[in-house]
Amino acid sequence: MKNLVIRNLSKTYFDIYAGTNVTAVHNVSLNVQQGEFVSIVGPSGCGKTTILNMIAGFIPHTGGEILLDGRPVNGPGPDRGVVFQSFALFPWRTVLENVAFGPKMRGVGKCQREKIAHEYLALAKLTEAAGRYPAELSGGMQQRVGVVRALANEPDVLLMDEPFASVDAQTRMTLQEELTRIWQEKRPTVLFITHDVAEAVFLANRVVALSKGRVLEEIEVDLPRPRSWEELNDDARFKELTGRVLQLVRSA
Amino acid sequence: MKSFLLKIWGHYVRLTARWPSIGSIVPFIPLIAAWWIVTALQIFPSVFLPGPVEVARSFGNLVYTGVLPEYLQDSMVRLAVGTFWGIALGIPLGILVGLSPRAHTALWPPLLFFQAIGDIAWLPILVIWFGYGLTTMTVIIVYTVIFPVVLNTVLGVRSIPINMHRAALSLGASRARLLWEVVLPGALPNIITGLRNGLGYGWRALIATEIIVGTSGIGFLMFDARRAGSVVEILLGMIILGILWYIVDGWILAPIERATGQRWGLVTR
Repeated sequence: MKNLVIRNLSKTYFDIYAGTNVTAVHNVSLNVQQGEFVSIVGPSGCGKTTILNMIAGFIPHTGGEILLDGRPVNGPGPDRGVVFQSFALFPWRTVLENVAFGPKMRGVGKCQREKIAHEYLALAKLTEAAGRYPAELSGGMQQRVGVVRALANEPDVLLMDEPFASVDAQTRMTLQEELTRIWQEKRPTVLFITHDVAEAVFLANRVVALSKGRVLEEIEVDLPRPRSWEELNDDARFKELTGRVLQLVRSA
Repeated sequence: MKSFLLKIWGHYVRLTARWPSIGSIVPFIPLIAAWWIVTALQIFPSVFLPGPVEVARSFGNLVYTGVLPEYLQDSMVRLAVGTFWGIALGIPLGILVGLSPRAHTALWPPLLFFQAIGDIAWLPILVIWFGYGLTTMTVIIVYTVIFPVVLNTVLGVRSIPINMHRAALSLGASRARLLWEVVLPGALPNIITGLRNGLGYGWRALIATEIIVGTSGIGFLMFDARRAGSVVEILLGMIILGILWYIVDGWILAPIERATGQRWGLVTR
């Protein structure tokens, strides 16, 4: 089983302006099972992006350990796909080439990798956009490309860093519904970072509430799938769950 | 009257949309006409300011005797050789300084220092070292081209968002491939800007160098004409400089820009 195991993860850095050590992440422990969708939710500055950056291998951790499939994480790698808030698509590559980028780096031949890319573009209803450049797409479409680009590389875990925070509210709801649909179809392991409590609950099997670099509580989300905003907006259980998470995050 | 002019303007806009080369010629017509009128009115003696007809005739003569094609070729080859080395050295150096904080710390101050010395300021010492010839001219052009290329490449490399590097790395790119897949294309719009500036400066430096140390070339043609008191040929040389730059910019640099940075949405049209 390709589980993501995080044990007593800490991040301390020296603040040159304050002249003191600052602890951004404090003894965080977390398990994500294969095929599970876990959301980490917390206010800005709570250390959630720092946690994701450490798991992705972008920045080193200063304490504890990160194990993926039993092996310690060391630097960025294709076993951990990342979806960025800023999309981070390659502007000089077409949509198709962006999605085929991961397979290309793994040495997959041109024909095969374009077939893979087309398949994933179809999954996100992006077939029409294959030959266009990212700058020619709307923000919502760009992030769809960002999601399938990471998925097309078939990572062991998909790390998503507030991926829908920079699109408008309507598009965001559509993207959230599409993500749950794609997740049900492909069952990737997902760790999703957000400050939006409703989003966290809507998407996940489990929500981790974070504050000031510490895990407050983990809450199981037992809502049935497929999920849609139309149904969940007035759902009592959904309201109860979001209410609890909100209370946790705000009280801390 | 106003609607008539607007109508003419509309036709012109449509015409130049279909044949862009017309749009690059037509704006010069009033300029040439004004020049022709001034000379035809004999406001200045024609020895000091010859008209377009004399200049065109001189152009025909110099092409016929083979002097102009030869000089033109000499100037273009010098510029091409100098530019080639300026690019071949400038881009790797720019990438190194842009990527490595250590290289930046070590090389940035001297880069700014030597940039300030300027091309022509090197001429006296280069003449002593290399004499009057191709080496001196090439060094001057390489020197002139390299700084805008290096400084803009550094800027381009540093302006690539860190998440672009991170995205490529977590999609499985090695550090070496990152160079080709992210750093070079990401910096390309700035590199082209640097190249455009560098070529512009290099072109001017070439003419200045030819005037001082040349035995052929457009700059030499102009200076030689001054010695012979031929204002016609001086004017011809100046016009050729303008036309050549227009061609280099419009036929080489602008199309590259359109196909890369503009297409990718990295620079605004």
